[in-house]
Amino acid sequence: MKSRKILNELNTCLKNAMQKGLGKKGLVFPIDLNAIDDEELKEICTRFEAIFNMINESYHYSEHLAQGNLKSKASRSNIFAMPLKGLQASLNHLTWQARQISEGDLSQQVDFLGEFSNSFNRMISSLREKKIIEQRLKQITDVLGEGVILVDSEGKIVFINPEAIRLIGYNFEEIQGLLIHEVLHKQKPDGTLYKPGNNPLFVAIESGNDYNNEDDVFTCKSGFMMPVSITCRVVFNADTMDGAVIAFRDITENKKHLQTLESINILLEKQATTDALTGIFNRIKLNKSLAFEIKRAERYNTPMTLIMFDIDHFKQVNDVYGHSAGDEVLKHLTKLVSTNIREIDIFARWGGEEFILLTPGTSLNDAIGLAEKLRSKIETYDFIEPNQVTTSFGISTFQSGDDNITVVNRADEALYRAKEGGRNQVAFHK
Amino acid sequence: MQNVYDFEWEHLGDISEGRPNLGSETSVVAYRLMQYTFKDAFSKEIGKEKTLELFIKAGTLAGKEFCKNVLDTSMPFTEFIADLKEKLISLKIGILMVEKADEKKLQFVLTVSEDLDCSGLPIFGEAVCDYDEGFIAGIFEGYTGKKFMVKEVDCWATGDRTCRFEAKPIES
Repeated sequence: MKSRKILNELNTCLKNAMQKGLGKKGLVFPIDLNAIDDEELKEICTRFEAIFNMINESYHYSEHLAQGNLKSKASRSNIFAMPLKGLQASLNHLTWQARQISEGDLSQQVDFLGEFSNSFNRMISSLREKKIIEQRLKQITDVLGEGVILVDSEGKIVFINPEAIRLIGYNFEEIQGLLIHEVLHKQKPDGTLYKPGNNPLFVAIESGNDYNNEDDVFTCKSGFMMPVSITCRVVFNADTMDGAVIAFRDITENKKHLQTLESINILLEKQATTDALTGIFNRIKLNKSLAFEIKRAERYNTPMTLIMFDIDHFKQVNDVYGHSAGDEVLKHLTKLVSTNIREIDIFARWGGEEFILLTPGTSLNDAIGLAEKLRSKIETYDFIEPNQVTTSFGISTFQSGDDNITVVNRADEALYRAKEGGRNQVAFHK
Repeated sequence: MQNVYDFEWEHLGDISEGRPNLGSETSVVAYRLMQYTFKDAFSKEIGKEKTLELFIKAGTLAGKEFCKNVLDTSMPFTEFIADLKEKLISLKIGILMVEKADEKKLQFVLTVSEDLDCSGLPIFGEAVCDYDEGFIAGIFEGYTGKKFMVKEVDCWATGDRTCRFEAKPIES
């Protein structure tokens, strides 16, 4: 084969390759070396064939790398593949670095890869900053005295802080991925279960609204309901609802404290209105109640009577039997009277051995009947020390324009007449 | 005169005092000139195999001393490698990259690009970074406390653009 023909063959081959690309077959050396007689020419063509083979191999090698096949290899003697080998080494390293980053290793840096290095290293810086923020947020939630729960847009639990774990009794693995309204917020404060679709916390999360309730309950792992104050804020990612942050605190102690305060107030109220010895109302309470009943009688034009009574010769009881015995008489008497009057009647110790019974809605005749009944019950009651005591009664009825003093004074006048009349009797003011 | 010389890190001297104008850096040519002329002279005296063995031994000593005096061995592995990479770049020794790392088995595949020993060399058909093999083995030994076998599987001198080393502990 002559050199001219060889050049023509090579030219045709290269022309085709440059027009159509290398294709699947690649760049095939078009000369049959056995057909060349000239040894020098043959040697030159042998080198050309090697170059063709290197180009072919580099072409396929670069194709593999472009497809992400980082295990591909080119022969050591291939001078065209050398820069690609450098690139392959960098890609292999980047693959390892990406894996490291995915496992949380943010010490990775890329050097000498131009703009890629800058972008990569900026990404790492950004991830480091985010990690620092995450760590700080975690520290905050760790030391926070409130329970914090994160849920996704469906209400599935994705995070709980140590305080929440402590309060609800579940560890994270036990409730991860469970719906908050099926695990923790499933009961109303009265213990009944929320109906499906009617759970206010879930409705708020689903509709993207905030939720606040200072008197709510969470159901703990133990099954006990824990009184909680809840604040729920919906989290958005761009414009899409991405879940919610729920902060809560145990208000059991607050509730106990409130209950204690309430009890104390009730006790103080009772002490302020009750006679310490007999347990019936005192003069203060009677005056308040009387003022109220006078107004009511005035407004609705209803009858009201006031019965005042005292124990006859009570001083003698104290003198003969002692003050303790006198106190016992007072206690037994008030108990006896209390069991023989209506619930709406107001019975008070007016002072010493003197008592007032306020009977709203009662006519004078009915009041006289009641007073007689009480007088008789007292007279026949065995007080032991002494066996018998008697009482005198004075009754007044409400008259338009009355006030506390006028009504009481008239009853007092009637009582005086009962005493004057010989005691152990009922008198009334007409 | 002593028959043996024991290397100590302090023997590197106070470069800032000794080279106030020229500084601590020199050219790659100077380094390679020394290394390859040593290789030439040694191989002619004691044979190539023994020469390469000594280069690896010297590299291992250098690696251990480098680890002890320059690196922080208390760091976790990934941070230690990141620090090593930074130091090798700042000393212009090469660009270290990790391709594979099995921290349990302590088996690693590393590459060093723009390597001080070989990058840009003609293709000799054989790996030439014997000193590097020892250097890497010495660093890993300094960090893990175990002896390492490091083999260069690809080299600029074999037609690659980066030197690739496989490192694994020597089974005792």
